[in-house]
Amino acid sequence: MTALISTMVEAWSELRIHKTRVLLALIGVALSVAVLTTVVGVGNLTREGMRVDSERNGGREATLGVSVYADPSAAQAPDADRTASVLEATVKRYGFTHASRVTQAQGRFQFPSGVQSVQLTVVDPAYGAIHRVDIAQGGWFAEDDADRLAPAVVVNDAFYAAAGRPNLATAPQVTVLGSNKATAVIIGVMPNRYPEEMPQAFMLTAAAQAVGAAEQMPGMGPELRIWVPAGMAEQLVSVLNADLAQQLPGAQVSVHRSDYAAYGDPFAMVQLMVSGVAALILLLGAVGLLNISMVTVRYRVREIGIRRSFGATSGRIFTGVMMESVVGTTVAGAVGVMIAVAVVKNPWVESKVAPGLEDYPAFPVEAALLGLGAAVLVGALAGAIPALVAIRVKVIDAIRF
Amino acid sequence: MTSIFTHDDEDIANEEYLAGESPADNNDDSAPLVDLRNVTRSVVLADDQQLHILRGVDLQIRVGDHTAIVGRSGCGKSTLLNILGLLDVPSSGQMLFDGTPVERLRSNTRAKLRGSSIGFVFQQFNLLPGRTALENVVTPLLYAGRKEFWRRNTLGMEILDRVGLAARAGTQPHMLSGGEQQRVAIARALVRRPRLILADEPTGALDVETGQAVMDLLDTIATESGAALVTITHDLNVAARARTRYRLDAGVLSSSDGMPVNDVLMGVSA
Ligand SMILES: Nc1ncnc2c1ncn2[C@@H]1O[C@H](COP(=O)(O)OP(=O)(O)O)[C@@H](O)[C@H]1O
Ligand SMILES: [Mg+2]
Repeated sequence: MTALISTMVEAWSELRIHKTRVLLALIGVALSVAVLTTVVGVGNLTREGMRVDSERNGGREATLGVSVYADPSAAQAPDADRTASVLEATVKRYGFTHASRVTQAQGRFQFPSGVQSVQLTVVDPAYGAIHRVDIAQGGWFAEDDADRLAPAVVVNDAFYAAAGRPNLATAPQVTVLGSNKATAVIIGVMPNRYPEEMPQAFMLTAAAQAVGAAEQMPGMGPELRIWVPAGMAEQLVSVLNADLAQQLPGAQVSVHRSDYAAYGDPFAMVQLMVSGVAALILLLGAVGLLNISMVTVRYRVREIGIRRSFGATSGRIFTGVMMESVVGTTVAGAVGVMIAVAVVKNPWVESKVAPGLEDYPAFPVEAALLGLGAAVLVGALAGAIPALVAIRVKVIDAIRF
Repeated sequence: MTSIFTHDDEDIANEEYLAGESPADNNDDSAPLVDLRNVTRSVVLADDQQLHILRGVDLQIRVGDHTAIVGRSGCGKSTLLNILGLLDVPSSGQMLFDGTPVERLRSNTRAKLRGSSIGFVFQQFNLLPGRTALENVVTPLLYAGRKEFWRRNTLGMEILDRVGLAARAGTQPHMLSGGEQQRVAIARALVRRPRLILADEPTGALDVETGQAVMDLLDTIATESGAALVTITHDLNVAARARTRYRLDAGVLSSSDGMPVNDVLMGVSA
């Protein structure tokens, strides 16, 4: 009798030990899901930061760059005015809504501390949309800014600081030392993209020409940037190449995609590596849980044998064991995802991970779903393997003393 | 005699498997509930040798029968009981459960038939640890039809009351004595009102007096419900209670009706 009761006590304490172990294993799952989700979330944030940076340089998906050069072997090259009008007509004909000429130049400006040479980008108003320009104060160019008497400039924060941070509402002026000395008005300020950025300025094409602020290389017009639907980009590249070459005999025409997505996703590699590490971490969590499940399987087999002798079908047993495990890991996974959100949305973490971003994106839903999905999968695996083992054991063996 | 087995007899849920014959009456000329015909069971051992556990067993069990099977340890009693309980299938020969050849049933169908028609009482009680007496008793109702499932706590309390343990319904098995645990197990075996109760050495883990009390309860409750009771036992007194007695020796089953109980048990306790 005593032996019997002690056997029961032993069995009970064994179960209790397993309960603690299962709980520990679930904590393991929660932590690895937290790590996985954090890693993917941080990866996405990094990616977003890098993407925004790339878009500012190369335009958003899909941006076409059109360049027209004088062909040195041709007898006669089309002059700059002809090229400009052909390009303008072509943009109209195709109905492109976002097109901008872009010229990189150096401009000389008069600052309180003296004259300084500044990177000057000469653009059309659409440039702002194509490159997703961020404006901290004031605004980007509007169409009618081209008609201003005093040319408008949009500057970066470094320029703005050098100019003494004047109040934009007072239409602060800055002197441009082009071939004609002119007074420009600062209408907008962009944040610096990275610390220690050099002063930069943007000016509209017509204004730059009027003040002679940006000297162009002879025989080479400005590059034209066009924002087109991503699905049509490849087709438009070849159509435009042929079309412009035909319209501009004697010139070399180059139409190419300039946005970062043109050469595939440059961040796929980063993402892949990050996901690989995360998957490995979760695998460790899964192995931990599986280990516990297998330890308890002997106990489970007996219980299942008893249940089957009272009419439980094997399918019912299988789903029962599975559900137990899945429910456990799903709860653990939800906890893990919450930890991850708390980490990734932490302002300090955000500012370190994506210093180039002004507005941080919401926590990526796909990272949360991935974390939860992985937890469910781990539960299904850790539950299914012992469940399979259990339903394969014959009931008579399971309940044999 | 008061009986808890008077309510809704229509939901004995076997019609779908057991259409046709109605075994409810207890006449000897009615079809038996269980009919074993020349059943053998053999297993292949690790060294490729065949072990014949049961050899040509013929056995009929009718509703209302109380049958005892006695035999030495290792003679194949549990194997026979597993076959009767649809937990195992014969290697050869035929087994009819209520007229249906069981080897043709799918394993899920067997599981459902087992749940609705058979109740097990084990030597080691096999209660689920960590769950209360009531939770244990209602376990079979989890696999029953909707009606039984939703009434499980009522049904469970009724049968616990019948075995005299209503007051211990919330107690976990390790807090109960061996006799009480076996009564919980009996309640669990009977909660779906099976027509066949299989008890594998039900008193084997109990002292003599407790064992007798448990057997009293099992006999009475089986009689009340009209179920057939098959008991495997070493216990002289347990064997003596049964109306029909068999002896199993090295896989051969022989009737021992009319034999003195001591002869039947000869060698068993040696
Ligand atoms: N699956 C099996 N494999 C090998 N031997 C078995 C198997 N099942 C039962 N046996 C053997 O068959 C004999 C009868 O077993 P069992 O029916 O449990 O006997 P009893 O219940 O009468 O003690 C025992 O010797 C047992 O070891
Ligand atoms: Mg046995």
